[in-house]
Amino acid sequence: MSHTLQRNEPGFGWMLLCSTAIHLACYFLLVVFHFSPRPFKEGPVYYVDVVTLPVANPRAGTPSSPGRAPSGPAKQEMALPAKSSLKASAKPKPPNQKPAASKETARQFEERMAKIERDVDAKHVSAALDALQKKVATAGNGGQTGMPGAKGTEAGSDYASYIRSRLTDAFRTTISFQTKNPEVMVRLTIDKAGKVVGLHFERSTNDRIFEDAVRRTILKAAQTFPPPPGGGKFEYSYRFAPEGVSKK
Amino acid sequence: MKKIFLTLLAILSPALVHGQQGFLDVTAPGNRQLQFGISACKSLNGGQNPEIVKEIDDVLRFDMTLAGPFSVMSGTGGNNNSGIRPGDFNFAPWKAAGADLLVKSGYRVAGSTLTLEFRLYDVFKEKEIVAKRYTGNIRDLRKIAHTFDDQIMLAITGEKGPFTGKIAFVSNRTGNKEIYLMDYDGYNVQRLTRNGSINLNPDFSPNGREIIYTSYKRKNPNLYRRELFTGTEALISARPGVNITGAYSPDGKRIALTMSKEGNSEIYLIDTTGRQLARLTNNQAIDVSPAWSPDGSRIAFTSDRLGRPQIFVMKADGGDLHRLTTSGAYNDRPRWSPKGDRILYCRMEGSGFHIYAINPDGSGDTRLTSEGSNEHPRWSPDGRFITFSSKRGGKEAIYLMRADGSGQTKVSRGNAGDSHPTWSTHW
Repeated sequence: MSHTLQRNEPGFGWMLLCSTAIHLACYFLLVVFHFSPRPFKEGPVYYVDVVTLPVANPRAGTPSSPGRAPSGPAKQEMALPAKSSLKASAKPKPPNQKPAASKETARQFEERMAKIERDVDAKHVSAALDALQKKVATAGNGGQTGMPGAKGTEAGSDYASYIRSRLTDAFRTTISFQTKNPEVMVRLTIDKAGKVVGLHFERSTNDRIFEDAVRRTILKAAQTFPPPPGGGKFEYSYRFAPEGVSKK
Repeated sequence: MKKIFLTLLAILSPALVHGQQGFLDVTAPGNRQLQFGISACKSLNGGQNPEIVKEIDDVLRFDMTLAGPFSVMSGTGGNNNSGIRPGDFNFAPWKAAGADLLVKSGYRVAGSTLTLEFRLYDVFKEKEIVAKRYTGNIRDLRKIAHTFDDQIMLAITGEKGPFTGKIAFVSNRTGNKEIYLMDYDGYNVQRLTRNGSINLNPDFSPNGREIIYTSYKRKNPNLYRRELFTGTEALISARPGVNITGAYSPDGKRIALTMSKEGNSEIYLIDTTGRQLARLTNNQAIDVSPAWSPDGSRIAFTSDRLGRPQIFVMKADGGDLHRLTTSGAYNDRPRWSPKGDRILYCRMEGSGFHIYAINPDGSGDTRLTSEGSNEHPRWSPDGRFITFSSKRGGKEAIYLMRADGSGQTKVSRGNAGDSHPTWSTHW
């Protein structure tokens, strides 16, 4: 009698079914993990002190040779809201009076909690600043930034441009002229205290009303001039002309 | 040691002064008018005379409003009990009201003698710009105020105003066309001719002391010269035919006029005694209304040599003739500006005329009037203003406007029919 070893293997249909099921499961897992929304991570918030000084010759550029990375902002100068103190002060007092012992315990507990919160906030701020400094340093050492074509040597915000912005503001309220294309070139001298000590008309189209308007502009704007940087005297020329007047 | 110090100074001194090359542009839109404050005229010796106060205020307001660069502020502002000298009053109320300039004035009357003191201030700088004291007869009050307004224009614009000039004009207020004289703002009208005939086309000599005009008092349209201060009159051209549209040359030595002694109207040059110097045009067409360029080198005139009346320009010797106006079917009465940059003329449009200004090269042809029929344009001696006659209000009357056509104002009093104005230099 012969013993026939029989293997109880599934047939082709079952194998096909299993294969299909496994493929579908893999596909399903792939779809779920790849396209499902990731949990939202709140990034650190940076507070930037916005400087409104105008740019002398505004042209962004790619530095031809990467310079030294600017040092990050000082930690103390960052203006961050004092969360914990606000929280502590804003927390409403319990309506009912508790016994003195439990009141003292609650006060100590609140102080401890506030301290912990302050420490945590300080750590977060510190970490954020470190990350920012690293990022800035990396950018300075390596990859290109700015617009192509520029040299990276353009002047940024400077005193001459700041003075121009003050003059422009005043000029809007004083401009007056009687000839077609008035123009005045003025050499302005400002002493170390920010006071106008020199006002020389280098060129003029001899429109007396326009010249007076320019004088009035300078006197008006001079009330807002800060001292020049570096503690020295400042001299520069400004060309006054009406806006949008055809030169023809 | 001294050398080291000097060397260090030489090295460090450029670093101490932030001198930079180049320049920055400062621009702003618009062209605002200067806010002009007028403080009520104050009595300097206690006696009050409201008529003087009102008259001074009226003259200042009219002149400064017409001038163009100013916007006269309404109300007097400030404390009128204060003085008019620097330090005697407070600028703060005027500053707060936005005034750029301020006129303070005071008067003193002693019998018929009037003393007027005017002070012009820059309100922002709190600084006196010009101060004048005038003494004269009380009847010269308006003239004195106009005189100071001329000074205001000189101080602010660098060029004296024309407010003391007179306007000579033709009026038929007596039923005949006679020549009259008035202040530029229409006050103090004086009659010059009394011949009961037709008198036309007055023109002032450059010094303003004489006029020439055409009169029909001897039936023929002849040219006369009259001295204004003495009243002496001379007949300077009584040639057969017309002797019309006479115009003094800028040097006052020659007169260009239209004569038709040979049958056709042509432009001639004569001297002030009437002696003929030259014939400038010679063709079959009608040539009239000569107008000198301010340098006396060229003459603009009207000619219909191409079929219709148009403005032409030639040299003062008659050469280099060319046509100036190319638009319009009927252009007449050119008048060259005192600065030489524009030529006024009037163009027939529809049933009336309008005043145009054009550059001497034919460009920039611009219409200046839009209402009624407007003729006889003449420049003020400084070229800032134009006087003309208009029928916009019914009867023909004398009007003023700025050189750009703005600020059109009637200055004729009454409703008599005034025309042919011409504006003299300062008296």
